[in-house]
Amino acid sequence: MFDYILRRLVYTLITIFAVASILFVLFRMLPGDPTMQVISPAMDPAVQLRMKEAFGLNEPIWAQYLIYMKNLVTLEWGRSFVSAQEVTDILSYRFWNTILLMAAGMCMTLVLGIGMGIIMAWKRNSALDIGGTIVGLVFQAAPPFITGLLLLMVLSYRLGLFPTGGMYPAGQRPDGIIELLLMPEFWHRIVLPTLTVGMYYISTPMLIMRDSMLEVLGSDFIELARAKGLKPRVVMFKHAARNALLGVVTLAGIMIGFAVGGQVVVEALFSWPGMGQLMVESAASHDYPVAQGTFLMLAILVITLNFFTDVLYSYLDPRIKITAKGVN
Amino acid sequence: MSANRLSRQLKNLRSGLAEHYRIITSNRLSAFGFWIIILFVVVAIFAPWIAPHEPWEMVYDRDGNFASLRPPSWQFPVGTTHLGYDLFSQLVLATRTTLLIGATSGLISIIIGANIGLVAGYYGGKIDEVLMRLTDILYGMPFLPFIIILISLFGRKLEFVILAIILIIWRTSARVIRAQTIAIKQRQFIAMAKARGCSDFRIIYRHILPNVLPLLLLYAAFNIAWSIITEASASFLGFGDGETISWGGMLYELWLSGKTRVAWWWFATPSICIVLLVTSLVFVSRAYEEVANPRLRKR
Repeated sequence: MFDYILRRLVYTLITIFAVASILFVLFRMLPGDPTMQVISPAMDPAVQLRMKEAFGLNEPIWAQYLIYMKNLVTLEWGRSFVSAQEVTDILSYRFWNTILLMAAGMCMTLVLGIGMGIIMAWKRNSALDIGGTIVGLVFQAAPPFITGLLLLMVLSYRLGLFPTGGMYPAGQRPDGIIELLLMPEFWHRIVLPTLTVGMYYISTPMLIMRDSMLEVLGSDFIELARAKGLKPRVVMFKHAARNALLGVVTLAGIMIGFAVGGQVVVEALFSWPGMGQLMVESAASHDYPVAQGTFLMLAILVITLNFFTDVLYSYLDPRIKITAKGVN
Repeated sequence: MSANRLSRQLKNLRSGLAEHYRIITSNRLSAFGFWIIILFVVVAIFAPWIAPHEPWEMVYDRDGNFASLRPPSWQFPVGTTHLGYDLFSQLVLATRTTLLIGATSGLISIIIGANIGLVAGYYGGKIDEVLMRLTDILYGMPFLPFIIILISLFGRKLEFVILAIILIIWRTSARVIRAQTIAIKQRQFIAMAKARGCSDFRIIYRHILPNVLPLLLLYAAFNIAWSIITEASASFLGFGDGETISWGGMLYELWLSGKTRVAWWWFATPSICIVLLVTSLVFVSRAYEEVANPRLRKR
């Protein structure tokens, strides 16, 4: 177990390193002056020259690469062209806002999705099962910006039930996360983005849970549990559902990859001050230090989540460790 | 190639197509999806002849008044935008863009994914290790942010959108097809083919490939659907091709115009098209899922 986690950890670090390198190559392929990515063209030429030397941009490309890597590790991620703030400062504020929204969406998706999946497998081929499948597939096919726009138009513009966006009322920026969580306005504002994210992802755990429940229900140990005279509900939740959960965990990795994409759209739509919105804004205004830093942070988030999914999976299914040894 | 052999191959092709037609129409939902896709393809092919106006042409009603923000009517079946563009024409012409992006990136990505999966799964060892680590790295790339970065760096061009989608999207198909290849590789008929002296190339493409085909088609449909969703999302955020009309781009213009509170028709039609097309692809893919995974069929 420990061996396996250690190996995954090393791979995770290699992946982060590789993504950072790809980012370096991409930004150096930029048409025009490669220095544009760290030095604002609006600055004074003398300052530009000094910065060029400070960032080592007149050195050969391999030296630049080493400096880039050193800056990444020492958290020297540069300053925004627009606000001149440190990129790391901007990100440390935005990061938690993204995590809050993501966690809310994931909780809704997993709890509702897994619950629905169990019920659908239980009442299989009923109207609930068939209807649930179709609704799930349609939601999956509707990109989050469409469901989000629809929710905004109906619940916010038409019925006035929810604010149109933001995380807190204008001019009332809370100090720190505790104060934010105590604000009723925050909970009022998180409903629509959470619903949007949740609706998009709900079909994945729901349909997988349903399918793997049906598979588990056909196996011998369920027959045995039934034969022992256990109540159907106990068989369903304690015996079948626990085993069927494995299938959901397997696909969690894929879901996470997409979740970050959905997050970007939802944050932009509801002006949620997270990393997704930052990504869109900085890329649109060609604020390269911020765009680069945000992308890297999002990548690290995805890679870390993938790592935890792998570890969780190996914990739930002890067979994986044997195969991992066999392969490597 | 003799005429005889050619006619035999044509016959094989025809019976193969008939088989696929049977798979798709065996289920009511996937048959529905299939005909919707055909409809969109027809609209895409004949788009310039169907659309009465140019996408960004200001239109006037019969009385000669400037037609701005008109709800659906006989003259403008899906209404007009605030700048007086005919939404029906935009919708029809955008079908072409969407299908082009979906088909190109969906097909190229499945070819890449399938080959990487087959080679990694068949050879195993070092080759497998290298290819799978590469796939892992791609799993670390957030998909939509990658497109946003690429477009921001290189410009709002359709080619870059397609390229960005292809570069990322093959990862899932490669993993899945590799797993299936490893399972098939251990079966008897592969050992027999090896004993007969078949080349690796022949074993991969003539013996293993036909066995992973249902899975491959399943992921081809997924890749097309994901490409369409991703392109629409990128366009909606303003990172699509500004010169070519697309469904996501139409919604981006709606969002920019700030008319979301009034122009429900402007929102409804591109949204319905996106959802309908992607749902159809998902429905068709469910039919192949049953072939690829026979355990599902009994349910």
